[in-house]
Amino acid sequence: MYFECRDLCVHYDKVQALDRVSLAAQQGEVVALLGANGAGKSTTLRAITGLTRASRGEIWFEDTRIDRLPPAAIVARGIAMVPEGRHIYPFMSVRDNLLMGAYLRRDTAGIRRDLDRVFARFPRVRERLNQQAGTLSGGEQEMVVVGRALMARPRLLLLDEPSLGLAPMVVRDIARLIGDVNREDNVTIILVEQNARMALKVSGRAYVLETGRIGLAGGSAELAGDDHIRRLYLGG
Amino acid sequence: MEQIIVNGVVLSATYALVALGITLIFSIMNLLNFAHGQILMIGGFMVYYVYGVFGLPYAVALPVAAVVTGLIGFGFEVLLFRRVVRVATREENSMLLAVGTALLLENLALFGFGEKQRGVPSIVGGVYRVGAAFLPAGRLLVVLIALALIVALLLFVQYTRPGRAMRALAQDREVTYLMGVDVERISALGFALGAGLAGIAGGLLVTLSGVNAGIGTALSTKAFIMIMIGGAGVVAGAILGAVVLGFAEAVGYALIPGSTTYLLIFVGLILFLVLRPQGIMGKPQR
Repeated sequence: MYFECRDLCVHYDKVQALDRVSLAAQQGEVVALLGANGAGKSTTLRAITGLTRASRGEIWFEDTRIDRLPPAAIVARGIAMVPEGRHIYPFMSVRDNLLMGAYLRRDTAGIRRDLDRVFARFPRVRERLNQQAGTLSGGEQEMVVVGRALMARPRLLLLDEPSLGLAPMVVRDIARLIGDVNREDNVTIILVEQNARMALKVSGRAYVLETGRIGLAGGSAELAGDDHIRRLYLGG
Repeated sequence: MEQIIVNGVVLSATYALVALGITLIFSIMNLLNFAHGQILMIGGFMVYYVYGVFGLPYAVALPVAAVVTGLIGFGFEVLLFRRVVRVATREENSMLLAVGTALLLENLALFGFGEKQRGVPSIVGGVYRVGAAFLPAGRLLVVLIALALIVALLLFVQYTRPGRAMRALAQDREVTYLMGVDVERISALGFALGAGLAGIAGGLLVTLSGVNAGIGTALSTKAFIMIMIGGAGVVAGAILGAVVLGFAEAVGYALIPGSTTYLLIFVGLILFLVLRPQGIMGKPQR
């Protein structure tokens, strides 16, 4: 398997946040991770990037076990994450934000090429290159954080609620962007979303987390038709 | 009048180094370094011994002061603060630790250097006239060194890769992990740099007003005043705070009898903080 979590458990002090979560992604897939607030979606992503330590279980990426590595080593292996709530560097220029994404890279020419690709994808980002990132609109900030993550040239991209707080039209842009990045850059994507409708549309398979456990898993099209899912996450 | 301006410039430039050092540590570690004045004092003593006692050139003594104090800062971060910042749930813990390191340095200095006031011979001879004011060549050199270092620091933080990582760390620690930054290494580097700047400032101040083992607390207090005026964690604010304090001192010492100056500065500071608690350029608390 290209990417896999096996029996992942995470504890915050005495509280168990994840209980034997197993999930996997094939190379080139978009996998959605759905669930209510506090179900453990963000915790799963934090465990993958090493921000939170798993108390049990294993994480494998491209035939390497990564769950004991520090975050910097995990990033260096090709995993980038766009955290929940955008988290741009507000007092840095847009350019410096993007360059932070390429922090581990030393290929100056390649970095410049990838900057141009980000500009081609987000023309609005180029216009605001020297502006402080904190002054951008929510949608523009989302473009910057996605662009920042792409600057690392990841092979696995973790997106934590990219649609949060954005207007419906911008959410459509984000959905299109996820598909584009997946196909054009050949990036495998794990998408955490509360917006289950959007997530099931752009993903091939999905997992549903319920209070720290995988409750349901399957093809996104089938799940979108599932009564239980419709009632709980799609509003009837 | 001209003399006040000249003295104000000399003080402001040196103070700016102090304020930038404490700002660097404050923004990267989220830690108010109570030992900053003591590190300055150590830097002063390094110059006193290397230049004043052993007779080596000032151009050797000042880098020695920077390296010794930089290593002290590095050691503090790696051995003490790293662990406390990680496990502590309250900011008071790391602050108390910082107070502890201040006391440690002060007592070590009393033990090792004694309690006498020490001064050094002037670095270069000669006096310039600026209008009606006198500017000794040594003081001009202090200003030039301080300004050069301030510019170098600003360029480093703005345009280099580790500098960018430090700014990133100051703004969002967790996301900076996700960029692949070795956060522990950059923190230690930032602490070392901040302490080294304090050491250099101490090495410059010793040529103006001498040094003794007990000046640390007063200097820390001055550093706090500067960042409170300018706004904690803001580079431009630190420089502005240094200029305000430097000129307030220069004016005070020229026009007001001795110890009243700082009394007035504190009263002014309190009134100012009531009106603008985040400082001139500070961001209001989120």
